[in-house]
Amino acid sequence: MKRLNRRSFLKGGLASGVTAAAVTGSVGKADAAGDFGGYPDSMGVLVDLTKCIGCRTCEAACNKEQNLPAPDKPFTDMSVHDEVRHGGLPRRTSEKAYTVVNKYEVEGREHPLFRKVQCNHCQEPGCLTSCFVNAYTKTPEGAVIYDPKVCVGCRTCMIACPFYIPAYSYSSPINPVVKKCIMCYDTRLKFGRPPACVEACPQQVMTFGKRKDLIDLAHKTIKSRPSLYLDHVYGEKEVGGTSWMYLTSQDAPFGEIGFDTHLGKQPIINYVKEFLAIVPMVLTIWPALFTGFHLLATRKEAKKNDESVS
Amino acid sequence: MGIKKRKLLGLALMAAMVSPWSLPGPATAEVFELDSVKNLYEGVSFDHDMHIEITGEDCTACHHHTAGTAPVDPLCVTCHANSPEADDPSCKSCHAKDVFDADNMKKNWDTPLLHHRNKPGLKAAYHRNCLGCHEEIGAPTGCTDCHAMTEVGEKFYNTGKYAPEPTAAGQGGGHH
Amino acid sequence: MKTYVTQGFEPIDTLKKPGSDTPWTLKEKLLLGLSSGEYVKQLVRNPFNWILAIIYAVGIPIILGRFYYGLGWVTHSSYDYPWGLFLGWGLFCMVPLSASGFMLGTTVELFGRKDFKPIERLGLLNGLLGYFFAVMFLQADLGQPWRLIYPMFVSLGPAAVLFLVAWHVATYLTVQVAELVPAASEMMGWKAPKKFVKSIVLGLTVAGIILSTLHQGALGALFTYAPGKVHPLWYSYSFQWFHFFCSSIFAGLSMLIVVSTLSKWFLKWRCDADFLGSLDRITLGLSKGASLALITYLIIKLTAVAHDNEWGLLFTGWGQWYIFELSFGVILPLILYTVAIRNQSVAVARFAALIAVLGILLNRLNTALITFNWNLYQEIPHWREIVITVTIYATYILVYRAVLYRLPILYTWKGESK
Repeated sequence: MKRLNRRSFLKGGLASGVTAAAVTGSVGKADAAGDFGGYPDSMGVLVDLTKCIGCRTCEAACNKEQNLPAPDKPFTDMSVHDEVRHGGLPRRTSEKAYTVVNKYEVEGREHPLFRKVQCNHCQEPGCLTSCFVNAYTKTPEGAVIYDPKVCVGCRTCMIACPFYIPAYSYSSPINPVVKKCIMCYDTRLKFGRPPACVEACPQQVMTFGKRKDLIDLAHKTIKSRPSLYLDHVYGEKEVGGTSWMYLTSQDAPFGEIGFDTHLGKQPIINYVKEFLAIVPMVLTIWPALFTGFHLLATRKEAKKNDESVS
Repeated sequence: MGIKKRKLLGLALMAAMVSPWSLPGPATAEVFELDSVKNLYEGVSFDHDMHIEITGEDCTACHHHTAGTAPVDPLCVTCHANSPEADDPSCKSCHAKDVFDADNMKKNWDTPLLHHRNKPGLKAAYHRNCLGCHEEIGAPTGCTDCHAMTEVGEKFYNTGKYAPEPTAAGQGGGHH
Repeated sequence: MKTYVTQGFEPIDTLKKPGSDTPWTLKEKLLLGLSSGEYVKQLVRNPFNWILAIIYAVGIPIILGRFYYGLGWVTHSSYDYPWGLFLGWGLFCMVPLSASGFMLGTTVELFGRKDFKPIERLGLLNGLLGYFFAVMFLQADLGQPWRLIYPMFVSLGPAAVLFLVAWHVATYLTVQVAELVPAASEMMGWKAPKKFVKSIVLGLTVAGIILSTLHQGALGALFTYAPGKVHPLWYSYSFQWFHFFCSSIFAGLSMLIVVSTLSKWFLKWRCDADFLGSLDRITLGLSKGASLALITYLIIKLTAVAHDNEWGLLFTGWGQWYIFELSFGVILPLILYTVAIRNQSVAVARFAALIAVLGILLNRLNTALITFNWNLYQEIPHWREIVITVTIYATYILVYRAVLYRLPILYTWKGESK
């Protein structure tokens, strides 16, 4: 009986060792990936919300560039600004629209302020780090792109996106996929050109350039008109920084125009690291610990067996 | 998207050819066709005279410091208090039509100490300049108030004869 | 079935027909020794089967519709609530309630507590089926279920928590199948597989502990990806995994008490004297384990509130809800278990187990659905989503019952040479 136990102990150790090896390798990678701060020369977009007139030209440009289905209403129909969906919320990105412009009537402001919503292309994207088939890629150019060919459809990326951006083509039974802005990576960004929405904007609300240059520009812009701009570049620090960044007006702080101002500066993956750190610990310590427990717990029995053998 | 003021009147055209050293003060009676960026919309028929009148002959209101009048904005005054009139005060001479093409991008970002790094392209210069004022004084601000939509535009905006079936309206695919 | 047994029928529990050397055929074993006609008759006689029939009449067409028309037909296609009941119930509730497998494996095989042996197999089966059906729920939820193996072999995203869950659940399912091989071997009369499993049982058990610690914890860690979406009281990036892991311990034990009680009530004919005779003692033993886990869980829950200094939140509406969850789902069963252990009252222990199970359901649904997007809006699942969830769960019960009828889980297989 005792010998059997010893042997099974070894086998057990081996079995768990194999599992451990299989999974620790991956966890090491996870930790390494966690400290990635973005590509130094990646591109970005600085959105000056004070200049947006809500004309929806960017929406139309996106629709054409990305070959999205025809909209429900013409892009010239401004009634969409007053549309309210579940929970009293304004429009959001969907499988038919990778970007939308919403109107915000802010108290104490004469004119409404418009806010363009699309993927912010995080430096350390929650979607990317949560994906278990590696469907997302942060390209050196700054875009967060998605490979529909490997997507299983677990939709964890939608859970992990702090900005509620990825949409899913639920209506497709055969090939449902995540639908989100890819910063026109395939058709434009790759060739050094700005996304379609940026170029189409009649007000040039958006400035396209290297992210680091845009941060300088943003602060310079704020400094140049301190009475107009709020001294906060949204996206410079939020969730570890995003490729798309925003400037708003003093009298329309980000919190009042639909931005989440409680996201913190940590990239999403940092909240998960605490757990990821225990994984290798469990994998290495548990086998020895519990086999030890086993030997202790069955010591009497083993002793008895020993005596009976000799 | 470059600025190209095409002068419609032959007379004006001739004047333009002679103009580099002439014309202190407002340009002569002209109606320009601002059509260098036309695509989704037709060009804008721009009555320069009328705008001169409305602004009380204050060229700075649109031309910043390039028309020989001193700017008011303290930000501009720092450098341009005594800037002379530009050789060509037209919008296109400073505001690039193809603001996003590679050369322009490079010039914009790689010129050290460039102050006007975020200078709008021609299209944006028009829109920002016009709309700001129009809004203020209650002049028209709708897109088609100034320029008619082309067929390319109708297709682009899914409107006019390319408008979606009204039955589909409001159906966002069942999502919330 | 009860009727037959009162009439003197004895379901098969041996390899060979009594008094002869002819072995039972597989068909006879599957029909428990009844003729096909008799078997159908008892099926019809059982009112529970009628309920199942109604569920299937409604549920199967809708399940087919889900795959024909897509997820959009059965859910609200919400972009804000990408996970609905299939995962909220099917994954996040089923998995902790199935932690009994590794708990009992550990108790019996690792700590050598042979006194829990009579219920070990029920614990293992409860684990296996719970996990298996959690995967079925997952398959109903995945946009492209046929790509389930992609994270294993096609495109690996090893840094993701879900990658860990996928691998561990898959591995652990294998471990649990292996752990139940002996039961199947006895029935089929195989000797080698049983012997083989017996020789690696400690390895399997230790693997079970590792995998369970990690994937139970990982299910909690999945929500750490959504710091702004899960209500802060239900969110703790330091303790989330431990909350889920620790609560799975009493969840699994309590579920085992519930299932064993149901077996005792509805499947008494299939339980042998060993099982029935030791059940009260075992129930109280499990209660002790559960109450220890409950008190640990309660402390760590409160620690999390203190750690993030969220006391103020307790006075909000969500705070009240949180206090309710904790009082009803943790403190109440804790008190009941304590009373049960002190008074040796099995009935109270069983009631405590039921409350603890409900408490876990409440906690997991709170985290995954109810408090999720607490600052946006609440979403009530589509009725078709509810029907599918009920149908899959009914199948879980059906399969559970079918296995208990046949495999030596509640009874010991007789006449097997050692």
